[in-house]
Amino acid sequence: MTSSAAKGTAFSLALAVANVGAVTAALFPFDSSFAASVVPIAYLVPVIFAATQWGVWHAMLASITAMAAADFFFFAPIYTFRVDDPKEAVDLLLFLVVALVSSNLASRLRHREQEIQQLYAFSQRLAACFTVSDLIAAIQHYLSSVLGQKATFFVAMADGHHEPSESGATPKVVQEAVASMIIAAGAPARSLCDETTRDVWLLRPVSSETSVHGVIAINIGAGSRGSIEIKTRRVEAVLDEVSLTLKRLDIGKAMEDARFHLQAQLLRDAFHGTLSHELCSPLAGIRGSASVLGSMPLVRDNALAESLVDGISEEVAELEGYIQNLLNATRVTAGGLSPRREWADPRDVINAAVRGRRRRISGHRITMAFADELPLVYVDSGLIEEACGQVLENAAKYSPSGSTVSVGVWAEHGQVIFSIADQGVGLTPHELEQLGRRSFRSERHQATIPGSGLGFWIATTFVKANDGTISVSRHGKGTRVAISLPASELTPSELIAMDNE
Amino acid sequence: MNKPSNVVLLIDDEPKIRRFLRAGFELDGFSVLEAENAAEALKIATFSPPDLIILDLALPDLHGTEVLDRIRSWSNVPVIILSVVSGEDEKVRLLQSGADDYVVKPFGMAELLARSEAALRRYFKSATENPVVTAGPLSVDLVSRTVSLSGSRVNLTRKEYRLLHILAMHVGLVVTHDHLLKEIWTGNQRDNIQYLRILVRKLRQKIEFDPNDPRLLITESGVGYRLQNRIEASPAV
Repeated sequence: MTSSAAKGTAFSLALAVANVGAVTAALFPFDSSFAASVVPIAYLVPVIFAATQWGVWHAMLASITAMAAADFFFFAPIYTFRVDDPKEAVDLLLFLVVALVSSNLASRLRHREQEIQQLYAFSQRLAACFTVSDLIAAIQHYLSSVLGQKATFFVAMADGHHEPSESGATPKVVQEAVASMIIAAGAPARSLCDETTRDVWLLRPVSSETSVHGVIAINIGAGSRGSIEIKTRRVEAVLDEVSLTLKRLDIGKAMEDARFHLQAQLLRDAFHGTLSHELCSPLAGIRGSASVLGSMPLVRDNALAESLVDGISEEVAELEGYIQNLLNATRVTAGGLSPRREWADPRDVINAAVRGRRRRISGHRITMAFADELPLVYVDSGLIEEACGQVLENAAKYSPSGSTVSVGVWAEHGQVIFSIADQGVGLTPHELEQLGRRSFRSERHQATIPGSGLGFWIATTFVKANDGTISVSRHGKGTRVAISLPASELTPSELIAMDNE
Repeated sequence: MNKPSNVVLLIDDEPKIRRFLRAGFELDGFSVLEAENAAEALKIATFSPPDLIILDLALPDLHGTEVLDRIRSWSNVPVIILSVVSGEDEKVRLLQSGADDYVVKPFGMAELLARSEAALRRYFKSATENPVVTAGPLSVDLVSRTVSLSGSRVNLTRKEYRLLHILAMHVGLVVTHDHLLKEIWTGNQRDNIQYLRILVRKLRQKIEFDPNDPRLLITESGVGYRLQNRIEASPAV
């Protein structure tokens, strides 16, 4: 207790006594027999006042002072503390009992009211919480004002560590217990006793549906089993309220996330615009200029100059491929993939894919096998060409130069299958599992083979957008990718028959 | 060698693109006019009519489609569009509203010159009046309706010939699915691209060296077909 609080208490005790004095002074002028009949009632006023205003100790002091004053001033023999009449002695004792009981009741009422006020203030503070740290501050403030004991919050950090919200004096046993609770997510609440100070500590995890925020440690202090139980119950009630607020904060966080998402989308659109215009138009200039340069007699007649110009063209084509990949990726993530589907010949699709990747698969032997009577597929040819192209490029990238990439197209069970198989290094079971995740690149090849890890992801997305499936399997030592797309119900010969000539 | 040259009008707002286009066309014997916006382009096209127009769609003052419409309201001059990737719908729309062909950016000069030559040949065809169209080993006599491959006669069904005839009339240029469907079929069948796909397959079996790897009758995915006027020297793979 600080000195100013002590001064305040002394002053209020004096005031309680002074009130009794004031009642005495008011009754003094009256006839002693009349006064004696109203005295017990009149003295109850300062007692109850003290009880409601300051609490039970003040009320008890007021009761005893009042009894003494009544005896001294109004009961015979006057001006002594003696009582001769046994009836008056009983009256006085009765007064004391009534005063003590009513002051006790009044002070409880006052206490209850205070509690309600604090709880009200607490709930108002909760409503104003916008972050978890606001919430923690509110809990700490409330618990220390209600229990008079410090509460320390241990914030769970993203990396599994924890930190106390303030460097309060928490004993080592408590810190260790907190650490074990944070590691084991969903650990139940517990209480423990600090052997050195005999204080009881309550440890409660604070979590919402989406995340664990940390553990709150509350020093209940020492005391009887009953008083500890009451305090524990009160703390539980507070934490219940807190968990409701946490839910509300989760909703707030979701809204915040949505805002971030929107910003990311705007950024992506801007990126898409930049890619498609700012990068593509200089590229068109370089590609075009190189092609003109390459056709000039001056260059054509000079082998060195010609090879340099060819070099430019090849590099530009490479760059074009990368930019196209990024454009495709942003197209997918922007959700702007609206397939423009029409009936297409599977041969045209795979031929276009092979032609489009001609340069990048030129080191490999490509074999093509088409089944006769191939039905048509209902697809966005552009997307499927790109998907097949990505798979072809991967096949060439991850298999030795000079090896064969075999392409086959056939129909089975109402589907047209595009199969692309290589004689490469194959995939480990782990890689098979990870494949198709955006930006996945196998650790084995990261250093040796360039790439963004977008290719297979783009292929998968494009195939799915056309109601197709893509599957990967082992093919000898290498890999086989099969793209399967819904086929036309009409066979080519049925179509020819219907197209009456 | 002082023969009168064809005049090409380049409409593009980017000086770097115009620069290489000018060099490429001049090297190929064209006279070149340039415009960096639609207003200037329409003025030039009116007062000194070119033989060929190369039109970029992204112009600062007016969209390329609008420029095309205005030119087409009074002139049949060949127009080739510089387009961006994955704009199939737009390509089809432009072809339907009178563009002769397109190239996709970034493109090589040889590709654009081939398209230009094809468009000019079609534009001036009435003057030369040669009824035989050749594409590599294939020749199509549009008057006697005979087709031969490396000198030997090829027998086509009525629809196969009709398809080849339309493509041959536009040799080197793209012809849209819609155009082909409407010219070859009637009734409900004109909306069904499946018939066209199968007809193309059948025609390829008769005129292509390897029908699985066509070099003459080329698919422009999402747009249409093209009968190639220049056959690639090296195989695709």
